[in-house]
Amino acid sequence: MTHLTPDELIDAMEGLLAADRQGHLATCEKCQAQLAGLSLTLSEVQQTSIPEPSSLFWHHFSERVGAAIGQDAASGTNWPSWLGWQILVPLGAVALVILGLMVTVPKPEVRDASVAPLAPQALDNWAMVTELVGDIDLDVASAAGVIEPGVAEEAVLQLTAEEQQELTRLLKAELQRAKS
Amino acid sequence: MTHESVLPVRPWTVAVVKPLAELDDAELVSATIGGSREAFDVIVVRHRRAVYQVCYRFVNNHEDASDLAQDAFVRAWRGMKNFKGESALATWLYRIAVNVCLNRVSAKAVTTEPLESTEHVADVRAEGAQHAMIREERAAAVRKAIAELPNKQRATLILRAYHDMSHQQIADVLGSSVGAVKANFFHALANLKKNLGSEP
Repeated sequence: MTHLTPDELIDAMEGLLAADRQGHLATCEKCQAQLAGLSLTLSEVQQTSIPEPSSLFWHHFSERVGAAIGQDAASGTNWPSWLGWQILVPLGAVALVILGLMVTVPKPEVRDASVAPLAPQALDNWAMVTELVGDIDLDVASAAGVIEPGVAEEAVLQLTAEEQQELTRLLKAELQRAKS
Repeated sequence: MTHESVLPVRPWTVAVVKPLAELDDAELVSATIGGSREAFDVIVVRHRRAVYQVCYRFVNNHEDASDLAQDAFVRAWRGMKNFKGESALATWLYRIAVNVCLNRVSAKAVTTEPLESTEHVADVRAEGAQHAMIREERAAAVRKAIAELPNKQRATLILRAYHDMSHQQIADVLGSSVGAVKANFFHALANLKKNLGSEP
């Protein structure tokens, strides 16, 4: 019969060796010696403690963690916490659709010269949308079912009046920034 | 100072306010996600020793272990809303700590503390000073040998031997199979046995 495999030696050390292999272990001195060596090493490892830091260290440690979290929060985005990707992705998607319609839907031929300046504005809008959803993979979001018809409207409707005002303010600010 | 829980409650329910320190981990997680920094502070106090020990076993020096443990808690704070409660909070924190350690050790060489600089309070009245010194030297050698194991073997050994995690839990932490965990555990012990010699 073959000797115990590494897996089986670990099982044997933890008392989980299959019954049909215990017969081999009972008669094989080589496997018994290997098992004893592993068990002895594990026992020594488990008895090895590490130096215990002082109670003062633990106090400072908690303070350090608190300070690091505070710093982390301060250096993070200025966007409100409720304005996460759940809101931005649907909004971005809607904005893309609108932008697409603006670009692709044929317009009646009007010889009015005022039509021409629309192109730079579309570019401004595009820059804003790109910035808003820059790091978000829309394919992934779509595959995950995040973007569905009506989701953006529903997300906006779920905002409080104050949050809607803030969203409006932020979008206007982005538009201004993109134009400047 | 005793912090009290700030669990979000609906206006028509009666809030049962308990001191934060009396909340279980799941309640603390819920309060943290609800925005309570104090609740997270309690989590830190409750789990800091275990997380620090995972890190110390990994790098075998206090300075790096302290930095790594701090980093692990900052990451836990950032990712708390992603904690689904499918595992114990401690297991989730170990996972973060192990990942932080694996990222760090792959980025820089680990500096282990010299054996003679390791401080350890031994009760020299209970056992002879010489015996205590020999025992501590051996312990330092074991810690050093563990810190020099390959990453996966080291992580497996630490989580199995010191934190009593199952093979399946370790496999989840390391993103590997139970078979791979057992193999790593076997090779970790075999390498230690070879490097340390069989006599304790």
